Amino acid sequence: MRQDIELEAIIEDYLNGKLTPEEHAAFEQLRSKDQMVDHKVVAHKVFLESMNQYASIVKLKEQMDAAHSHIDVASLTEELKPHPSKLVRLWRNNRSAVAIAASFVLLALVSLYSIQNNNKQAGTFEAMSQDMAQIKRSQSGLIRDIKSIKTDSKSNNSESRPRFGGSGFAISGNGYIVTNYHVVRGADSIHVQNGKGSYKVQSIYTDPVNDIAILKINDKSFENLPSLPYTIKKGASSLGESVFTLGFPKDDIVLGDGYVSSKNGINGDTLAYQVAIPVNPGNSGGPLLDNNGNIVGIINGKENKTDGATFAVKSKYIMEALNAIPQDSLSRRVAYGKKSMLRGLKRDKQVEKMQDYVFMIKVYNNN
Amino acid sequence: MSIKISSSLPTDREVVLGILNNSVEALNKLYVAYFPMVLQFILNNNGDEDDAKDVYQEAIIVLYNKVKSGSFELSSKLKTYIYSVSRRIWLKKLAQHSKKTSNIADFEDVLIVEEDMEQHEQKDMQFDKMKEALESLGEPCKTIIEDFYINNQSMQDICEKFGYTNADNAKTQKYKCLQRLKKLFFQS
Repeated sequence: MRQDIELEAIIEDYLNGKLTPEEHAAFEQLRSKDQMVDHKVVAHKVFLESMNQYASIVKLKEQMDAAHSHIDVASLTEELKPHPSKLVRLWRNNRSAVAIAASFVLLALVSLYSIQNNNKQAGTFEAMSQDMAQIKRSQSGLIRDIKSIKTDSKSNNSESRPRFGGSGFAISGNGYIVTNYHVVRGADSIHVQNGKGSYKVQSIYTDPVNDIAILKINDKSFENLPSLPYTIKKGASSLGESVFTLGFPKDDIVLGDGYVSSKNGINGDTLAYQVAIPVNPGNSGGPLLDNNGNIVGIINGKENKTDGATFAVKSKYIMEALNAIPQDSLSRRVAYGKKSMLRGLKRDKQVEKMQDYVFMIKVYNNN
Repeated sequence: MSIKISSSLPTDREVVLGILNNSVEALNKLYVAYFPMVLQFILNNNGDEDDAKDVYQEAIIVLYNKVKSGSFELSSKLKTYIYSVSRRIWLKKLAQHSKKTSNIADFEDVLIVEEDMEQHEQKDMQFDKMKEALESLGEPCKTIIEDFYINNQSMQDICEKFGYTNADNAKTQKYKCLQRLKKLFFQS
């Protein structure tokens, strides 16, 4: 009995690694000699492992019970138990699915909204002819200024005042001018004006689809222009190409500078480019040129909700219009797809060279 | 007094290191952090808060054993692991009580934890065996063994606690108890 107790103690120390190296070696020897001792060691080892495992779990449970006592289980249960309402239960059980569905709905709404906004563009396209009649009817001080200026210069002028204004540019030396159809639509008489003088013109060709009109100066005081400095561009302009325009949103010529921002116009209109140039009423019909002095389009409108979204009729439709009028009537007509004289010049020189070829269009309407 | 729930979720790394270092604080944080999740699962699947406590504690034991065995890799979120193990344990309990286990309402992603559960079930059997053996050991043996092996008290302490006249008597008593316990443990 006493021996057994000692043996048990030694086995336990042996298994726990508490024996000195000498004792350990001696015990190993005993173990290999005595089957009975070896059996006891193995059995005790299994037992001790189980006991240790048991002990650690019991301790862990004690600690967890301590942690558990800190949790307000009752109120949590109240909060988390299945809700009597099916809807709430459905929400809780499918929270993530509902969240995903909700985000899809949100996404759909956003895209719907943006599509709607796109559609709105159609309604907000604003032709850039200057509606002077409307301005005249309004009571603002600015208009009174115009009136007083008008009365000063009125003395030698005709009785009627222009009701619409726009811009245009020469396409031949002998006085053919291109502008927008919407500028001259419904006109009783049209005058054009450049740095040299004001001339009466006649509309000889209109193309409402492409919004192009060709006017012919019909005035004895008009002297033929020297050969045109610009040419008409043959190909399409690429996105990002820098462009500029000259026009008459006011009585002086105004330069607008920007770039081609989209290959199509409003609502994917393939007849037009979208360009990022700020324009104002009066810019309609003005030429749109690239850096090399090639005409790439005619400014014809803008989107009134977005700043700097301006539209320009593509140059190839100018050529189509030109081809529609008798060719022998055009002397020194604009070159098509050739090198322009403006190529390589700085912007100020380009403007200087071409400003006599850009006209203010004044439309009179007696009604 | 109550600890604010989920006021500070411990990071998974923090928990694993805490388990390896036997940190009580880490266990407390871990326990408080994910209990509501398991409680919600059990409450919504035919259980009550006591079931939730049992299942959750068992799941944490599984986690502890896995981490301590060194085979735990943070390939998934700890939260997901605990949820999956708790779910598996609860499904088994439901099946044992022949309650329906279809239509389980889930609140988290579920991992496949079969392998871990098999290992756990083996260990759990050992645990139950030991527990039963200790229960049937009777007093004072049970307390002596528990004090010595679980609470790591010295024979001297035990001797004083039980009023044995000398350490040898205590040792003899412990030996007798241990022999009986071993017998009970290995025979069951």
